[in-house]
Amino acid sequence: MTEQATNQTQNKPNRTWLLPLILAFMTLITSGLLMFSHALTADKIAAIQLKNKLDSLQRLIPDHLIDNNLVDDAIDLYEPVLLGHRQTEKLYLGKKNGLITAMAIPVTARNGYSGDIKLLVGIQVGGNQNGLITAVEIIAHKETPGLGDLIETKKSDWLLQFPGASLQQPAETLWQVKKDQGEFDQITAATITPRAVVAAIKQALLFNREFQP
Amino acid sequence: MNEFIKTRLLDNNAALVQMLGLCPLLAVSNTAINALGMGLATIAVVVTTNLLVSLIRPITHKEIRIPLFVLLIASTVTTLEMMMNAYFHQLYLTLGIFIPLIVTNCLIMARAEAFASKNAYWISVKDGFFVGLGFAMVLFLIGVMREIIGQGTLFSQAHLLLGEWGHHIELTLFSDYAGFLIAILPPGAFFALAVLVALKNKRDLKITKKNHE
Repeated sequence: MTEQATNQTQNKPNRTWLLPLILAFMTLITSGLLMFSHALTADKIAAIQLKNKLDSLQRLIPDHLIDNNLVDDAIDLYEPVLLGHRQTEKLYLGKKNGLITAMAIPVTARNGYSGDIKLLVGIQVGGNQNGLITAVEIIAHKETPGLGDLIETKKSDWLLQFPGASLQQPAETLWQVKKDQGEFDQITAATITPRAVVAAIKQALLFNREFQP
Repeated sequence: MNEFIKTRLLDNNAALVQMLGLCPLLAVSNTAINALGMGLATIAVVVTTNLLVSLIRPITHKEIRIPLFVLLIASTVTTLEMMMNAYFHQLYLTLGIFIPLIVTNCLIMARAEAFASKNAYWISVKDGFFVGLGFAMVLFLIGVMREIIGQGTLFSQAHLLLGEWGHHIELTLFSDYAGFLIAILPPGAFFALAVLVALKNKRDLKITKKNHE
């Protein structure tokens, strides 16, 4: 092998040895470019992501209900049966004066149209608003663009029918889309996605009730 | 319109004639705005890579040209992705997962290999721009067709790309339209593309006939 390689180089004096050097050089340059643009954008991207997370947590658990740090007080939860989890998820607890006042419960709907739909359901705990939904956030989904993805708040108002609802209002048996004789609007031409989301939100409410003292 | 531009926009259109870059073409053409965003991103990438490939001609050898092009294209797309994430975050949320797809767009490799590696930088930039524009136009047309047929709307969610004033151009063409699911699902992209290719072929046939007479 070594002999052949040497022979070839001698036969063809076209600076073959230069080629790997050029490649290495260009790799160095492009890596440098990537490092530079990463350094330029990393802080900004991290800040945006943190802000998005805090914004979404704030919608789920409004500031006036709590005096603790939600991110620090989050606990790990794994409920594959009730909440459809496939791995450990974060449960966010809002507390005031040491008492739990609200929770953001992670739910995974496994029966979406394409793949899992991950949600966070904010529920108030205690007081006269006990068990009422504060907000629902879609964390991740792969539903059909233009149809199933209308569950996203930025694409339609569909998700906004849930804040204020609870297991009493509407009654437990009515936690379904209208097509299934329930209380909740569906999305035109997409039935499976809303069905899955409504069922998942109901599971979060059931979880909340089950773990009430 | 001079010949240089006409070839790239129409006669030898990357998507309609060369059938290049169909992967992003089919994936993100479900709405006009998605298609427009992807089209603009593709133009930006192909112009940049054509410029870079043309500039490194002195150190490009035949044997290592492909890895060199891959290096340049991959770093350009990654940089673009990071910049978009940091500075156009809303758009990134919509198009984000499709940006890495641009790497696999063989249109870009084809222009690097067939044109930019053999031509001066200014004409390579022009080549990239018009080939990219031809591609973006087809992408946009397919997006318009699929959105109108599939959802009965046009430019829905324009604010994701254009900011607040985008709300003003969001049109609902048929209110109470039940939707036509197949236009939005991937097969719809094939149908729309087929229609455009057929129209283009019809035009070509007419011209050939005229020349014969």
